[in-house]
Amino acid sequence: MDGLRELQQAFLGHLLGEGSPIVGAIESTADASVAERLSIYATGYRLRLKEALETDYPRLHAYLGDALFDRLSDAYIDRYRSHGTSLRGYSRHMGELLGELSPFSTLPVLGEIERIERAFNHSFDAADRPPPNPGLLERIPPATWPDMRPTLHPSVTLLPLRYNSFAIWQALANETLPPEPTDAPATWLIWRRGLVSRYRALPAHEAEVLHAICDGEPFGALCEHLLEHFAAEAVPREAALLLQSWLTEQVVATLDWEATPPSC
Amino acid sequence: MSRPFLGFGLGLRTDHYTYIEEHQPDIDWFEILSENYMVPGGKPLAHLDRIRADYPMVMHGVSLSIGSTDPLDLDYLARLKTLAERVEPHWVSDHLCWTRVDHTNSHDLLPLPYNEAAIAHIAERIRQVQDYLGRQILIENLSSYVTYHASEMPEWEFLDEIARRADCLILLDINNIYVSAHNHHFDPVDYLDGMSPERVMQFHLAGHAQAGVMIIDTHDHPVCDPVWDLYAHALQRFGAVSTMIERDDDIPDFPELRAELAIAERIAGKILPAPALQTSHTALRGIA
Ligand SMILES: [Fe+2]
Repeated sequence: MDGLRELQQAFLGHLLGEGSPIVGAIESTADASVAERLSIYATGYRLRLKEALETDYPRLHAYLGDALFDRLSDAYIDRYRSHGTSLRGYSRHMGELLGELSPFSTLPVLGEIERIERAFNHSFDAADRPPPNPGLLERIPPATWPDMRPTLHPSVTLLPLRYNSFAIWQALANETLPPEPTDAPATWLIWRRGLVSRYRALPAHEAEVLHAICDGEPFGALCEHLLEHFAAEAVPREAALLLQSWLTEQVVATLDWEATPPSC
Repeated sequence: MSRPFLGFGLGLRTDHYTYIEEHQPDIDWFEILSENYMVPGGKPLAHLDRIRADYPMVMHGVSLSIGSTDPLDLDYLARLKTLAERVEPHWVSDHLCWTRVDHTNSHDLLPLPYNEAAIAHIAERIRQVQDYLGRQILIENLSSYVTYHASEMPEWEFLDEIARRADCLILLDINNIYVSAHNHHFDPVDYLDGMSPERVMQFHLAGHAQAGVMIIDTHDHPVCDPVWDLYAHALQRFGAVSTMIERDDDIPDFPELRAELAIAERIAGKILPAPALQTSHTALRGIA
């Protein structure tokens, strides 16, 4: 092991728990063996990754309890290395692991709690947008309304859930006893208004239109979705009400009537 | 050499955002952890901007991985530069260490062998970083727990020589010197006396924890008396150097940390003449 690169690869191999020639590169002293000295680094490596998972999933942790969450974290750290410069994002495969690893995979509500927490983490430091101008709707030239495209705030996540995972999440957040998992299909909206993360359940028509906005559909197409829920003469008013409330709540960040289709 | 002296600062921590914004405590400057603000938006950047409006800042990173044999991470450097344009810090620092290899990150500050090959490799990389950022950077000594057979010189000679060849500046962590001296059985005073004074731009102070025969750099305790003694020796040798306390765990209320920083001010007041402790930050704030 002459070169710096070989030394670094061997050191990292040791942290990852692989067989590694690093032991031969390090001095032992009377008071502390090489193994003792290296264990400070190997222990620290797993501890830091585990802390990152705990930071990202406090409710999942509370729901599973320490023993099961430790098991999940250990499996995660064994399976996934960190490639980013920061630990932000290290946990992004958690949903995948929960879906594959027994016994977690037998409880689909865990995957939904994971998605809720990930959506809140995303909302916390997603990009900022200035609050929409209150007079924005009046500025849209009438002829361009059908092609006008709303853009969602970067912090927005639309979360279609099958179970009562949100009620479980809320109970965990309030440190009360979570309800038993049951079927409770609904789409939830999680976003940040100003500096504060918010959430609410969406009525079916609102969820459908927000998904359509995500897909980059223009206002004309959004109104067609509403035709399935409202009488034709009520649609323009319902559409305007939705748009106004999303602008006020800062769920929609901008309206583009000249630009190219956005995506989210 | 006329070295800018910012006075006495603390590491900016999320626990203290509200206190600082509400009370605007009397403190000369803050050091931010660069990576905490390499995010798209939201609270971290909002608090950063508010507090920056009232206080001078320096930026301290943990991910430069200057000693790695992986290529420099250009994406990280671009984000660091963007943040520096936003913060306008008095300086930017990182550690004399490596953190990743083969694109796998250890998220730890890992030690280097102290030899000529490493010096040449690192000095060249620091030069590239400085060219890219358009400014000199500070590099900081680590706490470490292993010594490599491949090391050919004491750590202070390694640090000093890299700084000289790279033409960079030095952040001397007094606690790290104490911790490494204990773990590797050298005299910490030899470390301070072995450094050439002209490049030392900042001091870190921190607490640590004993784990068996080793000392671990945990930043979860107050600064201990032997580290204060070492700090006093450092002031005698280097003169007025901008000083701050790092606290990352078991973080006390702001006033308690502020009181701990006052110990540093008292020690400096006893050792250095008053004119030497005039902060240059009022003038510097005008520039920034
Ligand atoms: Fe430090």
